[in-house]
Amino acid sequence: MTSAIREFAEWLSHTSPSILIQTHNASVIPTIQSIHIIAIGVVLTSVLMIDLRILGWAGHDQTLRETTDRFGPWLSWALLVLLITGISMVVGEPVRALLSFSFWLKMFLVALGTLIATFLQITAKRNEQTLVNRRTVKSLAILTLLIWVGIVILGRLIAYDYVWGSWSLKPTA
Amino acid sequence: MDIAGFLASVESSNLATAIRDSLYLFPLIESLHVLGLTLVFGTIVIVDLRLLGIASIQRPFTRITSDILKWTWAAFVWTATTGMLMFITNANVYYHNSFFRTKMVLLALAGLNVAIFELTSGRTVHHWHKDAAAPRAGRAAAILSLVLWITIIFMGRWIGFTTSQSKAPLEPGINADDLFPSPPPK
Repeated sequence: MTSAIREFAEWLSHTSPSILIQTHNASVIPTIQSIHIIAIGVVLTSVLMIDLRILGWAGHDQTLRETTDRFGPWLSWALLVLLITGISMVVGEPVRALLSFSFWLKMFLVALGTLIATFLQITAKRNEQTLVNRRTVKSLAILTLLIWVGIVILGRLIAYDYVWGSWSLKPTA
Repeated sequence: MDIAGFLASVESSNLATAIRDSLYLFPLIESLHVLGLTLVFGTIVIVDLRLLGIASIQRPFTRITSDILKWTWAAFVWTATTGMLMFITNANVYYHNSFFRTKMVLLALAGLNVAIFELTSGRTVHHWHKDAAAPRAGRAAAILSLVLWITIIFMGRWIGFTTSQSKAPLEPGINADDLFPSPPPK
């Protein structure tokens, strides 16, 4: 498994899009990272606002539907920006990303967060009145917020994969 | 005490030494800094978009600020604290870094922008807080705020790339084979 990832990272680093980013990396990589962080700001705050509304800590003058209508589209577009800039960073620095433990743990949390968000949307559509059990929804709101906090922290830790010791796939310098 | 002496004493403080000596503290503090700044930025964007009449326009402006600004301030204190903890570990280098200096000036301008807003459109907020958009001065402050904060984020990322050898960009034409030396002896 790890050797397959290594081979893929090596192959990717020799492709022309990767070489293009590598040759301009002094400005391109910080630019992509900055846009990625700006999009994270939009995503994290949108999730926070929806979750605070679910928990009853903010937006009392708004229904949950009004809150999701306000933040849902911004969340979706910012997630698209995260996907595009995220893929660009992997293509530009395949070894840095793909051999990092933080990266894979982050991807696991992204998958888990997506699963929970999808579950919430489906249940909300099926029985809009009761919106499943209120306590379940509140727990899921706190859980998604914690998942997103974890995703942000792990994203930055990709730059410091040595913190994971032998769990990191990276060769020690 | 002159500035060089001050920076040197900050750098040699017990706290700065402890962070430098730890393998884990600086990465953790930097991650928490990113977490804080995304919330500062995201919550400010909500307020700015409301001023511009782009989003949340059916809610009175004052409802939004009373809902959100406490989170902005909490996140700002968090981000400033983690920022200062990073600064003290390498104070002299950060102090002389032009991206760091630009970022500090822009942060001061963002603060000034808020102060001017409070003294102009902020004074008449109860006349327009239910309107779809703020008066011209308020909209100008919102655009300025968005430009400043986006630039501040860019500057922050550039500080990371210009102050730390370990994060220096790779040489062009890097050969991935070079990154896989034979495993070091355990």
